[in-house]
This record gives sequence, C-alpha cells and structure tokens, in this order.
Amino acid sequence: MIDVASFLTTLGTYIGIYLILSLTLTLETSSGITNFGKTAFYGLGAYVGAVIGTYLPLAIYGGGFSPFDVNGIQILLSMGRSNPMMDIGVFALSIIVGFGAVAALGLALTYPIHRVGSSLVGFTLLSLGEVLRLIYLNTSALGESKGFMGIPSPFAWVKDPKLAGLLYLLVVLAFAGITLLTVSRILNSPLGRILRGIRDDELVALYAGWPTVLVKARILALSSGLTGVAGVLWAYYFTSINPNMFTPSLTFNIWAMIIIGGLGSMAGGIVGTVLLASVDYAMRFVVPYIGVAFITPDYLRWIVVGLLMIVVLIKKPEGLIPEKQTILILGEGEGGDSK
Amino acid sequence: MRVVVEKLTKRFGGLVALDDVSMEVPSSSKVGIIGPNGSGKTTLFNVITGYYTPEKGRVLIGDGHKLTDITGWNPNKIARLGIVRTFQIPRLIPSLTVLENLLVFYDYNRCASIEYALRRKWLECEEKAVSKAIGILRDFGLLEISQKKPGELSAGHLKLVETLRGLMADASVFLLDEPFAGIESWMARRLIEAIKTISSERKATFIVIEHRISELLEGVDYIYVLHNGRLLAEGKPSEVVNDERVVKAYLGG
Amino acid sequence: MLITQDLVSFFLFSLLYLTISIPLVVAYRVTKVINFTVSTYIAYGAYTGVMLDYYLRRSIGGNYLLVTAVASFIIVGAIGYLSNLLVFKPLSNKRVKPDVLMIASMGLWIVFKYILYVISDIAGYFCKANLVSYGQINYSDVASLASRLGLSGVQESYILFPLVAGTSITLFLLMLGKTRVGRAILAVADNPTLAALSGVSVSRVENLTWFITSGLISLAGVMWTSYSGAITPEIGDSLILQAFTIAFIGGLTSITRTAVGSLLISGVENFGTDFLSTYLGVPASVKPMLTFTVLIATLIISPPLGAAGGIPYRFRRGRRI
Repeated sequence: MIDVASFLTTLGTYIGIYLILSLTLTLETSSGITNFGKTAFYGLGAYVGAVIGTYLPLAIYGGGFSPFDVNGIQILLSMGRSNPMMDIGVFALSIIVGFGAVAALGLALTYPIHRVGSSLVGFTLLSLGEVLRLIYLNTSALGESKGFMGIPSPFAWVKDPKLAGLLYLLVVLAFAGITLLTVSRILNSPLGRILRGIRDDELVALYAGWPTVLVKARILALSSGLTGVAGVLWAYYFTSINPNMFTPSLTFNIWAMIIIGGLGSMAGGIVGTVLLASVDYAMRFVVPYIGVAFITPDYLRWIVVGLLMIVVLIKKPEGLIPEKQTILILGEGEGGDSK
Repeated sequence: MRVVVEKLTKRFGGLVALDDVSMEVPSSSKVGIIGPNGSGKTTLFNVITGYYTPEKGRVLIGDGHKLTDITGWNPNKIARLGIVRTFQIPRLIPSLTVLENLLVFYDYNRCASIEYALRRKWLECEEKAVSKAIGILRDFGLLEISQKKPGELSAGHLKLVETLRGLMADASVFLLDEPFAGIESWMARRLIEAIKTISSERKATFIVIEHRISELLEGVDYIYVLHNGRLLAEGKPSEVVNDERVVKAYLGG
Repeated sequence: MLITQDLVSFFLFSLLYLTISIPLVVAYRVTKVINFTVSTYIAYGAYTGVMLDYYLRRSIGGNYLLVTAVASFIIVGAIGYLSNLLVFKPLSNKRVKPDVLMIASMGLWIVFKYILYVISDIAGYFCKANLVSYGQINYSDVASLASRLGLSGVQESYILFPLVAGTSITLFLLMLGKTRVGRAILAVADNPTLAALSGVSVSRVENLTWFITSGLISLAGVMWTSYSGAITPEIGDSLILQAFTIAFIGGLTSITRTAVGSLLISGVENFGTDFLSTYLGVPASVKPMLTFTVLIATLIISPPLGAAGGIPYRFRRGRRI
C-alpha cells in the first residue's frame, strides 16, 4: 500500500532541494560560469550542517561524546526528540553558517577562476569537488567513509512523523521560493542583461565598462551560498550524510536537468528539474521496493539520462523550453521595459 | 579628449608588432591610421584600450594640460573614461537585440548591482537608458531594427550600431577599426555622415583605421601611416597620399 | 622518508602520466575539446585487459601484454572515433561554444562508465565473475621477457611500465615528426585553415587523431592493470585531475612542457606526500590536494591560452598567443 501523502511530501522535498541547485546553476550559466563542481559547494554545505548539527548539541550536552559512536548518536536522537529550541536553533545556525562558508568558498575562487576560459573553470570546479570529497573521506573528524548520522531534524520534536515531514517540506519550499525569486529578479533586470553579455562576449562587456571578473565573483558567491543552503537542507532531511553522496554524477544530474529542460530558460530548468528529480526519487525509494533483476537500475538510469542529455544537446539545444525572448513595450519616445 | 601615444613598443614573443610608435591626436580631431596588413594598426588599438600592455611606452588621455597615464589599465576602467572601440569584424552580443546591445553600454552604476536587482530599484535607470537608446536609434534612422538580433543584420548595420554604442556610453574618443570594410557604398555614406554628426555635435575625437583610403581622405584631418609596426609617415591626407615611401609600402608590402 | 620507494613510484607514475598527457595535448590541439571521456579511455583500456585476462586465463592459461595492448588500442581508438563521429563533430558543426563540447564529453563519460558497470553486472550474473573489482593482472609475455633479461625477481610493473610507455610515446612522437600523416596532424593542430589550403583533408586528420590518441591513452589503463590490486570502473576518474593539470602546465600546446609537467606532478605527488607526512604528520590522503594546489597555481601564474583561455589578462605581462 503506497502512502500517497508521504510519497508526495518526500517527492516534493526532493524537487524543492534540486530546484535550488538547478536555479542557481541557471544563474551561473547565464553569467558564463560553467560550474561543473556543484557538488563541491553542495557537499560543503551539507558537511557544515552535519558538523554543527552533531558536534554542537553534544558539546552542549557535555561528557565528550563522539557523534560517530552509538552512544553519541543515541544522545543526539533523544536530545532531538525533546528539544524543539535546540533543533530549530541548530538548524537555523547551520543555514546561516552554511550560506556564509560556501559563499566564501565561491568568493575565494575568484582570482584563479574568473580570468580564465569557461572550460578551465568547469574542470577546476569538478576537481575541487573531488578533492573535497576525498578530504571528507579521509578525515576522521568528519566520519570518513561512514560520514555523519543522527543529525537532528529541526522537527524531530514533532510527535507525528508525517507532520514533521510536511513542515520540513514547507521549509524547503520556502528556500526554493527565495532562490526562485532571487534568480528571477537578477536575470530579469539590467544586471541580467549584462550577465548575458558577459556570457556571450566577455571582451565586449569589458569594453562596455563592466568589471567582468568582479561581477562574476559576486554572482558565484551568492549562487554558492544558496547552493550551500541546499546542502544543509539535504543533510537535515536525510539526517545522515557520507562522502559518496557528493560525486560528479550529482553535478552531472543537475546539468542534465537544465539542459533537457532548456539551457538559459528558468522555466525550462524547472521542468527539467521536476522530471529528473522525480526519476532520482524513483531510483532511491521506489526501485528498492520493486526489486532488482540482474542489472542495477541505477546504472541504467545514468545511461539513459546521459544519452538523453547528449541527444538534446545535438538535436534540440534549446531543450524543452527555449530561452525567453525579451519583450519591450515602446511608448512615445519613452520605453517601458518588461521581460 | 586628446589621446597621446608615446614610444609604444609591443612584442609577441619574437614578433615586434609595434616599434617605438608615437602619436598625438588633438581633442575633437579626426585622425586616420593606414598601412598594409600586419602593420600593427589593430595592435595599436588593443594597447590604447587596455587589452594589451606594452613592453615600452605610454598611453595618455586627457583634456588640455591634464593628461592621465592609462598604460596598463584594465579595459573596463579605460572604457569608463569615455573611450569606445569597434572591431574589424563587428562584435555585438548575439543573444541580445540591437536595443539591448545599446543598453549594455549605458552606465547603470548602482542600478546594475545585485542589491538593486533584488530590490527592483532599477526601473528609473532603465527608463532613462531605454529612452536614450531609442533616441539614438531614431536620430540615426535605425528604429526598425531595434528589435532585431545581430544575426539578422547586414554588416553595415552592425558597424553602425557598434559605433552608436559609443553614444550610449557618452564616449569622447571613438576608435573605429576598419568601419568601411565589407559594406556597401550607401552604408559607408551613412557611416561617414554619422561620424561627422557625432564629431561636430559631441566634439568627439575619432581615430579611424581604414584600408579604403578614399572614404577616409575626405573625413579626416590628419593621417598616420604604419608599416611593420613603425610609424612610416604622417601628415595631412593630401601630403601622405603623395608620399613616395607610402606608395612603395603599399605596393611592395 | 622512504626515498627509494618514492623514487620508484615517481618513476612509475611519471611514465603513466606521460602516456596519458602527451596524446591528450595533441588531441586537444587538433580537436579543441576538453574531453572528460579521457577517463573512459583509461578505464576501458584497463577493462580490455580484465576481459582478456578472464577469458585467456581460462582458455590458454595466461594473458599476454601484446594482445591486450593491441586490443585496447583498437577498441578504445574505435570508441574515440565513434564519439567524434556521433557526438563531437555534429556539435562542432553547429558552432557551439567549447563549454557545450565539454558538457557533452561529461555526458559520454557518465554513459560509458555505467555501461562498464552494467557489463560487470551481466558478467557477475552469468559467469559469477567479479569484474567490479578485479585483481592485479600478470602478463605471461612480460614475465618471460623479464627472465630473458635476467630480471626475474623484479616486479612486473617495473618492466611493463617503461616498455609500454616507452614504445607508445616513441612511436607516437616518431609518427608526428617523421611521417606525412604526423605532419598533417601537426599542421591541422597549428592552423586548420592553412592546412586545408595546403591540401590536407582536415576531417580525415581529425578522425585519425581521435582514433590514435584515444587508443594511446587507453594504454595507460593497461599499464595500470599490472600495478593496481583493485581495478574498478572508477580508475580513470582518479587520474583525470593529474592528466589535465599536466596538460594545463603544458599550456595545452607544448609537448615538452607537458612532459615536464608530468614529471613535476609525479614528483610533487610522490616526494611531496612523503615529505609532508614525515615532517608535518599530514596523512597520505593529502595527495590530490597537492595536485589541486598545483592546478590553481598554474591557473594563476600561467593559464593556458587559445580556445580554452579567457580574457587574456596575461597579456598584461606581455606574452604571446
């Protein structure tokens, strides 16, 4: 028997978090930043959230317990269940620190990244993701290959798990909405036009007087911060994270979302995200129920998604929904501008 | 604004693209630069606009006695001083319309910040920018193409729009790189008229690289001739055209 | 510090990196694609060895390097050729930005990787063979070569690495420098328009380059099979960072600089890691971080130019295109 309510809640949470990732990627690609390392920023956010969510409560509790042994995790679980203030406080703190830390990372990459071509940017960010993942994998303070468990959900104190799930969904949707608003307002403004100029011909944008390196740096900082928030949301949703969640396949998945949906178009990105996030959800939750033949369905999924993305790139690069054409309303000698 | 170039030398590995080139372009004047292919004309523009840093020499910009040394400045900083350039093959932003291409050259200042974008405080700036752009397009008879994308336009239109970007930016120095190349005569006429208008109304300084010397001769006050990166000759158009060395360079080079 | 051990690793890894990066740079110069599929070439090279090992061991009793190397070269060369035919060429005909080619190569990388996993799944189901983590491979012909040279006690990889690397790089460089085909490749790499005007068939050169360079890179995967105790579909991924960092050090143009880059990265990784762990107590897992630092440093000090380059801020220091 499938529980429709929790099915929808989980699916919604999935789509919501992925939306933050794909919308920020849309912002980045519209500015000429080829971010092949979404996982780097996303993973950092998740680990920041995990560290704050486990070390801080245990520190408050006292007694020097480690978040990686059974006792520590038990304590976290029981604290979570009885401490609404702590749950929400720790979560809020993670969001803020997550945003700040990951935005700082985005900013720190300015000098090496924004002066070189976009292909090099893509490769460097991909490598950054891998390097960070290996650091998580090899650092005992971060749980090594097992990662973190028992991260307290901000609604762990709510008795009804379905209600807790629903509340969390609302939080995720709120942040997705903020991201949507942010990206949309930036892209539909004079700044958005300048970003597209930088994307298409950075030299001309420079000659127009725009400090392209600084502009890209600020956009990446903002975009990374929001990506970090998505990471925190992920960590607190699954309540456990490990380095294997943050592989290049994840970055690839988000790229597939915006390409299949339509590169350059926000609406397209949303469509592509809903599509592929649902597939991802199906892989994670539905398939294990159906059972496996002899080929892992997850493998087939990647092959299909990869091929689909390539086919879209070759046959219909605008994707399902092309980049919106600008609409100008001309008055008498004055112009009103709406996009 | 006047432009002074002092003993400019630019090397690319073993190749010397500019060799000890000096020029002085008075305020509001129109100056032509000619020379065979590969003589360093476009390199000169690239150095003046900050795309390249010279090995030796300086570039100075200013009014009257007050000259600023802009050697080695970033291109965007130089652009904001009021210098605009065009390219041999016109470069417009392909995904934006003609109108939007002009708007990119408007000095939005804070209206182009992330903060203002998020708070939607850019409406007033945008209105001013759009009316300025439409005014320019109307003055030069280009309103019909305002919504077209660069891909749909002829070379002549592209070059004209490229030049008009300078008006959006309130430029006082226009560096035009082969503006008449590859366009029909009637379009070249329009371009010459545009240059004359901008020059007289805005008191702008023009430096024009050209191969089609006939178009150039009637438009400029002074000509510099470059050959193999060196200044070969200079003078009034009539003098230069009759100069033996110039004729030899063009025929021999 | 274990200098001898470091020296040996330095030696082996330099050879490995050279085998990957030299064809990579030539491929980039001709095709202008930052190609993530390189990871696939390495993995498929290794897995050709794995498949052959599985079957030959059961039929003939042993695996042969010569057979594996040739098979790997042909199979992966074909994969490279087909990738161009079906994906890269159609895309570049549409005049897309270099990013798009890179994104497509990432798609191919993912597709090929998971095909390999599916093959392993099938093999596991039908033949009960574990191909997802295969052990070190010993090659009979290398062993007999070793005993003929009087080096029977020496580890197979110490002989195999220089053998494969030396042969492939020497043959490749000889081809580029001495044969008409090679010169055509270099001409297209430098200036396709000029080459076309001189009568070179640019598209044939491109196809050939894809085939040859992919095949050569796959030999690194073959080399790896004699060194590593656990061959998985992910092995290519762990070598990409180094491969491209080296290519960037070489400016994506100069073969000599790329060779220097290979030695540099191998040195940094092997001696650097040992140094840091001996004197500063830093764990060996810092290795990729070291390479990444070199990558960032290269991008700041001397970023590659050309189609991969961006606004040439480095012209500010007066260097040439």
